[in-house]
Amino acid sequence: MAGRRVLITGVGSYLGSLLAGRLERDPEFEAVVGLDTREPRQPLGRTELIRADIRDPGIAPLIARAEVDTVVHNSIVRQPGPGMSSRAMHDINVIGSLQLLAECGQSPSIRAIVIRGSAGIYGAEPHAPQFFGEEMTRLFPLRTRFQRDVAEIENYFETYSRRHPDVTCTMLRYQPAIGPSLDTQITRYLAQPACPTYLGFDPRIQLVHEDDALDALVAAIRRPVRGAVNVAASGTIGLARMIRAAGRPLLPIAGPLFGPLTGAGRRLGLDSYSDDFRRLLRYGRGVDIARLEREVGHRPRYSTTEAVEDWVAGSRAGERTAA
Amino acid sequence: MSVSAPAALAFMRRLREGLDSGLDLPEALTRGAAALPREARDTLEHVLRRLEGDHEDDEWGFDEDFSDLVEPFFGFLYDRWWRVRVEGAHRVPAHGRALLASNHAGILPWDATMISVALLREHPLPRHPRFLVLNWAFDLPWISVFIRKVGGVVASPYNALRLLEQDQLVAVFPEGVKGTGKPFAERYRLQRFGRGGFVEIALRAGAPIVPVAVVGSEEIYPKIADVPALARLVGAPFFPVTPTFPWLGPLGVVPLPSRWRIEFCEPIQTTHHGPDAAGDRGLVLELTEQVRDTVQQALYANLVRRGSAFV
Repeated sequence: MAGRRVLITGVGSYLGSLLAGRLERDPEFEAVVGLDTREPRQPLGRTELIRADIRDPGIAPLIARAEVDTVVHNSIVRQPGPGMSSRAMHDINVIGSLQLLAECGQSPSIRAIVIRGSAGIYGAEPHAPQFFGEEMTRLFPLRTRFQRDVAEIENYFETYSRRHPDVTCTMLRYQPAIGPSLDTQITRYLAQPACPTYLGFDPRIQLVHEDDALDALVAAIRRPVRGAVNVAASGTIGLARMIRAAGRPLLPIAGPLFGPLTGAGRRLGLDSYSDDFRRLLRYGRGVDIARLEREVGHRPRYSTTEAVEDWVAGSRAGERTAA
Repeated sequence: MSVSAPAALAFMRRLREGLDSGLDLPEALTRGAAALPREARDTLEHVLRRLEGDHEDDEWGFDEDFSDLVEPFFGFLYDRWWRVRVEGAHRVPAHGRALLASNHAGILPWDATMISVALLREHPLPRHPRFLVLNWAFDLPWISVFIRKVGGVVASPYNALRLLEQDQLVAVFPEGVKGTGKPFAERYRLQRFGRGGFVEIALRAGAPIVPVAVVGSEEIYPKIADVPALARLVGAPFFPVTPTFPWLGPLGVVPLPSRWRIEFCEPIQTTHHGPDAAGDRGLVLELTEQVRDTVQQALYANLVRRGSAFV
């Protein structure tokens, strides 16, 4: 495809604005259109910004006029951050995706949709295979609200791609991202004075480095494949080892007390943990990335351990400059 | 890393494994006098670790250093407690993928750990097998961590297939939970081997199946009764009552000192069937029955050869 035109939702997020910047510099991409209510985190050049909420039905003509061939759906919220209730999160994720698809249906130029989804759909289970393959979403019941939301979103896109066989839908299932410039649940967790863990559990954690997160997205835009693709760093790391690498003390809490104690910590102003994150801390999760490597053609540069080490080096440097 | 570096690493690993097995026998006799070779070994290990960038565990959570650390404890059980005799360790392929299929008893995977020690001690080229452990164990604090560190993984066909594709040695217990819950009166009578899932996996991966018979493991926890209500309460598949458990509390978990024999039987090759044969129900059931038969015959033969169970 020559002279591609791309629409990026959630362009105001860190990864979204990095992506827009990357595509701007690439002559293969004739036009880059960004959609968000927020100001981009990085200054952008030729990206054409649409200041609108993804849930606003009024943006359909704007998207149609931009005549994009590829839509990158990057506004799926992974954790209820400060100032965002879980209900608002559900609204943005599910209603936002639904609205976006309705708008895509009115734009005949669209050939590909790439979604930055979540590996959270697999959940975190004690009896799970160590590495989930893309076909294993139905092995366990959906336990948390976020899991159900992600499943619902995936369902919408699946239905859409069945009804529009000429549009390729790529559902990228991201493991939690880590990196020196990111602010996510996992980086906030590791930056605490002490890291609460489940007493007697040391799950295998798999992450993705921010550079790989961006490169995988670019690779999927260049070569969209049909269906779901797991995105993660190679290998896993034990939770205890990850916390030690971050130079934090472990704070083991017995299972039944974990919820109440971390809940009390939240009232004291510490970070809160979503249900998904708590299950992750207890059981961990790994995904198989063979499809990402073979079909999308992105081989992660960082292993999970290297990604953690890179974050540690970055946060140490940050502490030094602050001091 | 250059192309030659992994080869050099593999060579050093082989070298160290050779050193380990060479050291083990004399070490058992003259534990104290082996100071110099042990020092040499430590240095070598140190070099290896630095080469691998402080590599602690693999993607499965298997921790070779930790396994070496707990080896003396398992070694004690192997030598003194259960006085294990091994036959046919050389029949286990020295490299590449292979599936060990064994009988199973007892709620804790002692039989898996003893198979592991047997291969490390008696095999010409010692290797750590990975074993598939009853899912239920991964809900338990500490135990789940421990099992993972010594090479256990959740009993899922996906795990078995991936391990075999990584050319590992994988131990499975096709009797599954039916085996662990066997009452004492039915010891050494093999239960149904599931639906032959392990054969399907071996066919798909092109791995030979090595039937393994473990005699002794079925006497360590003689289950005389089951309390399903208590089992439901703690979420276990069954709640065993043995002469010592639960009467003696935690002491009841100490296994009885039966005498053990482990026999590795002639491998059954699967590569000539091709991976598509995994869908052939008839062939899968036929091979399953063949493995089950081999293990059952070997069990009877070794029971006779062992003689009395405890002395």
